Amino acid sequence: MASEIFDWIRRSASVHGSRTVYSGNGETVTFEELDRYSASVATWVAKRSDIERPVAVMTGRHPYTPACYMGVARAGCFYAPMDGDMPEARLRQIMGVAEPALMIADREHLAIAEALSGGCEIAVMEDILNAPADAELVCAREASVTESSPLYMIFTSGSTGVPKGVLTSHRSLICYLEGLNEVIELDEKDVIGNQAPLDYIAAVRDMYLPVMTGAMTVMIPKNEFAMPDALFNTLNEYKVTTLCWSAAGLEIPAKLGGFADVRPEHLRVIVFSGSVISNKYLRIWQDNLPDVTFINQYGPTEATASCTYYTLKGKVSDDTVLPIGKPYKHYQILLLTRDEESGKYAAAAEGETGEICVKGPCLAIGYYRAQDQTDKVFIRNPLNSDYPETIYLTGDLGHIGEDGELYFHGRKDRQVKHMGHRVELAEVEAYALTVDGVTECASLYDKAHELIYLFYAGDQTAKEITMRFRADMPAFMVPRRIVALDEMPHLPNGKIAMKELQDRIK
Amino acid sequence: MEELMGILKDLRPDVDFENEKALVTDGILDSFDIISLVSTLNDEFDITIRPANLVPENFDSAEAMYALIEKLQDEE
Repeated sequence: MASEIFDWIRRSASVHGSRTVYSGNGETVTFEELDRYSASVATWVAKRSDIERPVAVMTGRHPYTPACYMGVARAGCFYAPMDGDMPEARLRQIMGVAEPALMIADREHLAIAEALSGGCEIAVMEDILNAPADAELVCAREASVTESSPLYMIFTSGSTGVPKGVLTSHRSLICYLEGLNEVIELDEKDVIGNQAPLDYIAAVRDMYLPVMTGAMTVMIPKNEFAMPDALFNTLNEYKVTTLCWSAAGLEIPAKLGGFADVRPEHLRVIVFSGSVISNKYLRIWQDNLPDVTFINQYGPTEATASCTYYTLKGKVSDDTVLPIGKPYKHYQILLLTRDEESGKYAAAAEGETGEICVKGPCLAIGYYRAQDQTDKVFIRNPLNSDYPETIYLTGDLGHIGEDGELYFHGRKDRQVKHMGHRVELAEVEAYALTVDGVTECASLYDKAHELIYLFYAGDQTAKEITMRFRADMPAFMVPRRIVALDEMPHLPNGKIAMKELQDRIK
Repeated sequence: MEELMGILKDLRPDVDFENEKALVTDGILDSFDIISLVSTLNDEFDITIRPANLVPENFDSAEAMYALIEKLQDEE
């Protein structure tokens, strides 16, 4: 059976036609245009590629980007979104994993796309959006894939130093959106305020909920996030009812003293996720918007955006520990403990902390071209010897509280959530070691001040290291505190004494 | 001005604060930079930057930031 997502695009075009589906960057796209543009993109792709192949899409923060993504999908292929404003070295790494035969770029990013293409054919978005579509070809392509076929590949920080491409099927995304919308109940009267960059997993709800429900999405200009008055004026101008934001994004206006002069007037529901939100700043939102429903969401990209949610029942105080709640429809959660010696897994006892594991149709297909990494975390359920069943080991720890809700306890490994982004400290270190003169280093996270630290030894200046990071790595992975040491502290076994470095941060 | 330049260079050693005139408008400083900058400026210059002051015109250049600091110091 072909994907329901194709039905959403067609149906929303016939029901909502001339209404705006996406607005942003001073431009709008209607439901009818989304159907037409995506069919044109699909035609271009289908004439050049087999089904189930990757197509890199390097377009900006504007309403045509979702049309490119959905066009790739309608050709039976999957899209690899790329942020053309990222440093070239990072983009090269991603292209190295994806190796797409086709690429779509808007005019603004054409030069960087050409520099990276490595010979793959590039379409200029502006040239193909209005090209005539071959309806028969598009229908045939849509019918040739199933909901198990890959829909997109989103890149995330990898501890080996190379980003991992998380490959997700149509079915998994549909499962997430159904689960989410059962809770937030959007319809054509709703307006979503998009915060997440469009190449991020968090943007899937902002792009696909409109075609599913008839709601509209407004892409908020990036620099308004540091300008609370401008941000809230935009929310009011578009009568935004719904926010699905990173916790970090929600904290910013509260940190900067927002709500003093302007407040959002039309909000109905706010969903936040990505990291543990600060009670202090959440409380500012709650005090100013007493009638809004607040929902805490949890989940990794590998389980398609978010797997559990908790609807807040009252205002938080300084000592509130917010649960991450219960699984959405289509998601199941297991808590497993592992015996260090035997390596055997067992179900966590009542109230005991275990690793949060996810199963169900929501799971990603795996990492693209990384079978070993896939096999480490997408494993056969060790508690079920009767039939094969895959679970995903999140690496997050949690326990079920007396109230029956799931609570989050941080990571098993050295992955951190920094300003809403997932960062492997090992990847920061791997990059720092590529800088000439850096002989040894360790990266740590100062959670209280939200700073990535890099301690290093060697013959190089902190300034030069910063410049190199800025040139090659995304901004959120650049250490804000770089400390030169004459020598790194070591443990007797030769490993770096992380505890000692940790104490220096405090 | 010198103190401000020092703070800016610490924050973003890769940016040419002498010559850049569209730091916010062109997205050179992101929202995390602004947050960190606002709290440092509040502490170092003993001022309170309010949401109404958070407009690109006040942060697009080092001179504009300096003018804002002076204005807020006069008001205190």
